[in-house]
Amino acid sequence: MTNELIALLVPALLLFSAIFILLYGLSSSYTKQKGYTITLITLFLSFILSVSTITEKHSIDVLPDIFNSMLVYDTFSATFISLFLFGGFLTLAIAKSFIDKTTYFTHESFVLLLFSLFGMVILSMAKELLTAFIALEIASMSVYVLVGLNKNSLKASEAFFKYLLLGSFSASFYLLGMMLIYAQAKSTNLDAIAEYILHTELHSQLLIVAGSLLIMITIMFKIASVPFGAWVIDVYEGASLPITAYMAGVFKIAVFAFALRVFLLDYITFESIYDPLIIGGAVVTMIGGSLLAIIQTSVKKMLAASSVVHSGYLLVALASVEVNNQDGAHAIMFYLFAYFISAIGAFGVLSYISKGGDVLITYDDLNGLGKDKPLIAASLSIFMLSLAGFPSTIGFIGKFYIFTSAIETGYTSLAVFGALSAFVSIYYYFKVIVHLYFKESVHLNVDYGYKVSLAFIIISAFIVLWGGVGTSLLFDIPGINELNKLTQHSIESLGL
Amino acid sequence: MSTLSILIFLPIIAAIFLFFVRINIQIVKVIYMLVTSIILYVSLKLYVDFDPNAPMQFVEYKVWIYEYGINYFVGVDGVSLGIVMMNAILMPLVAVALYKQRDKHGYWIHLLFVQGGIMGAVLSLDLMLFYLFWEVMLLPIFFMIGLFGFGRKNFVTMKFNMYTILGSLMMLISILYIAVQYKEQFGVYSFSLYDLKNITLSSTQSILVFSGFMLAFAIKIPIFPFHTWLSETYRSAPTGAVIVMSALMAKLGTYAIWRFLFTLFNETSHAVAPYFIGLGLFGLIFFGISAMNQTHLKKMFALSSASHLSLIVVGFFIYDVYGLVGSSYLMVAHAISSAALFLMVGMLFERTKTHYIASLGGIAKVAPRFALFFAFFALSIVGVPLTAGFVAEVLIILGAFNYNIYIGFITATTILIAMLFMFKMISKVLFGEPNEVTKNFQDLRLHELFALVPLALLVLAMGIFPNYFIKNIEPTAQFYILEKEVPKNDK
Repeated sequence: MTNELIALLVPALLLFSAIFILLYGLSSSYTKQKGYTITLITLFLSFILSVSTITEKHSIDVLPDIFNSMLVYDTFSATFISLFLFGGFLTLAIAKSFIDKTTYFTHESFVLLLFSLFGMVILSMAKELLTAFIALEIASMSVYVLVGLNKNSLKASEAFFKYLLLGSFSASFYLLGMMLIYAQAKSTNLDAIAEYILHTELHSQLLIVAGSLLIMITIMFKIASVPFGAWVIDVYEGASLPITAYMAGVFKIAVFAFALRVFLLDYITFESIYDPLIIGGAVVTMIGGSLLAIIQTSVKKMLAASSVVHSGYLLVALASVEVNNQDGAHAIMFYLFAYFISAIGAFGVLSYISKGGDVLITYDDLNGLGKDKPLIAASLSIFMLSLAGFPSTIGFIGKFYIFTSAIETGYTSLAVFGALSAFVSIYYYFKVIVHLYFKESVHLNVDYGYKVSLAFIIISAFIVLWGGVGTSLLFDIPGINELNKLTQHSIESLGL
Repeated sequence: MSTLSILIFLPIIAAIFLFFVRINIQIVKVIYMLVTSIILYVSLKLYVDFDPNAPMQFVEYKVWIYEYGINYFVGVDGVSLGIVMMNAILMPLVAVALYKQRDKHGYWIHLLFVQGGIMGAVLSLDLMLFYLFWEVMLLPIFFMIGLFGFGRKNFVTMKFNMYTILGSLMMLISILYIAVQYKEQFGVYSFSLYDLKNITLSSTQSILVFSGFMLAFAIKIPIFPFHTWLSETYRSAPTGAVIVMSALMAKLGTYAIWRFLFTLFNETSHAVAPYFIGLGLFGLIFFGISAMNQTHLKKMFALSSASHLSLIVVGFFIYDVYGLVGSSYLMVAHAISSAALFLMVGMLFERTKTHYIASLGGIAKVAPRFALFFAFFALSIVGVPLTAGFVAEVLIILGAFNYNIYIGFITATTILIAMLFMFKMISKVLFGEPNEVTKNFQDLRLHELFALVPLALLVLAMGIFPNYFIKNIEPTAQFYILEKEVPKNDK
């Protein structure tokens, strides 16, 4: 199959499957089980399709005659698409028990999930601002509704409304920014803008600088960086656990995929102007996120708050990207892999042990789990270690790359700051481990069932460990080196 | 797999295996004994095959993360050999002494894990590999204190963990910094110790990076003023964890100073040496005096440990063959004695349910064998002639006199401070009339004797025939001094 065909097939598969479930859901023979299975199969098939194209470096315009270079399918987008689809698949697979035991996962929820994935797939292929906006909105709109899925919960409705309002508000910045850029560069195509920037004096492109700044605000909002991320705790808290996992693990990465493309193609020239802003953003994001995470009493909210800190690390790497040194970009991609798998795993464990309940899982709810359910507790501990950046997990390698690239660019103090915030994060992540193992049990040997969900949790935990120590020299399973190569191919395929 | 890889990975693999199979605790203990015995056998073979005159041996080199020049790079020399041997000898003996009391899977699994972690950290010659093991060996201790500790264990283990990780993270930044400097100067990334020592740093850079490393080591050892985690942690930790911490992990900190700081930042280390000698001597006195005032046995031994570790630091920073050999020797000697003492404190607690010196007394009357061994190990820590500690301390004092006559004088006199608190403790615990708590004190059982006798013999052997052991360390130290061309300070 050619890459172009795959580039068309993957979104088409998602879209048609979504529409099919939308119609089929009205039929009397529809059951939740069927909808779930169809969604999983769709995700699996499209994942297999897209993952087959990440092994080599490639880049093509998708149907240039029809789409006029709006969409590009390169290793970069293929990698991210595979990641989203894998993330969607994992989220659903782990959340099986949650979905079975709740009533609000109707057929629309699967449709919305597929639509949002469709939006993200297009977003990561978009090479044009307007297409990207539409794709971003498709994804966002679906996620807004997914957040408010549980209509009976006041919290969910509040979260939905808050997210919708703020999200739409922030999207308007994007539109304004795009307009400003178009006013000066006379194009919304990223290549054309890059061309214009390159051939114009820096001080005479104020509109582009201002417009890019506005677009950056939207991106900052979506990745929940301080001060634009005030929504994150409430929304993550209100959304049901699988959706929170999905937002933290997948949606955030999609936004970063687009941010990275825009940044590397266009903004990179303004690096000197933006770097202070990004550094400032990174610092306040890490401080703010850490403070938020420390004071939480529920594990779910702690994870939500700590996802802000992780955005801070990513901003550190973003600040380290330079015109002739893309190590920062590699670091971002690797860190996204790391955060993706750890966050999905961590939220997945929570959704697995909450059994569809509406409760917030507090630290005390985890007490004694280590004794009763050693496998679940060990997996959760591994995810926590990875999020904390403890060596021998993939999270450590991610932090290692980010700090190295920061030091390489000369931001040593920023790296030290990152290390300090990693130090603080030890507190709230290890607190989970303390509760898992060192406190007396409250569980009366609950049987969680759903061995398949458990299996996927364990697989994720294994990936986390393998990504931290693994090498293809042993057992011939792709390890750190292969992930490195993948990030390199991806960044190179952008054609900088 | 070759020798060093077996030493590192066999215990870790065994630990992982034991975690996944939930089998009878008796079988777990058997597997533990089996694995640690194999490790002991392999280490003894290593010791016999070790060639004292070659610099770095049994080197293994495998590419790990090639993009960043991080490799699996391990090797052993005279100084690391000592810690490897201690690690191999102590672990099975701990089990022999404790096997009746500890009936939890986790206890043995974590001990196996930490053994592998320490082996890895000692043998690593690649900085990232070292960092990996350095952090990973922390986890089992964290778990052991939390799971099997006493008192405010959760708070204590968290504090210990965070304290140590703060140091480690600063070390990480330092490692990354010099790696980036290496890349700027040589064009490629490398984390190998032998590559990185070729970089040139300005004195400010060098001091800052040195401090990053030193912070991690100073916390682990601990050097004054980074000792505030120490006594609480030792007090709360179960016997196995205390032995690992005092006999092995703390030594690893001093070893790392020698291995990494002296190799990478020779000039800086040289320049700051007087401060660390001062700090070490102050710590020696400070911890000694603090130990004197302790009423809790474990806390007292914790501080006494810290006091001796300060002496080891002094010995290293003296930069002299005597100092280096003496410190390396003291690392081993103190590891044996303190491990044995903490074991005996564990036995004491198991019999009397108390750690307080004041509530003990008269043990010598009811349990003469226990008293004999207890007194023997306590005296060997002090450095009474014929014990290993004596040889080491004499060497360090010689080195100190070589360095500067005043420093030598101060070192020689302050070592005596250990006498004060040890004798005080011995007289209170062992002598006097037996009281309610100690009147039914049971003497050493057979399996406990099995654990202690080899240690006692080793202490004696090292005290009476030091040459046999020193011959493995000395060439390394000589080689190091020659290579670095350290100027002799003959003031």
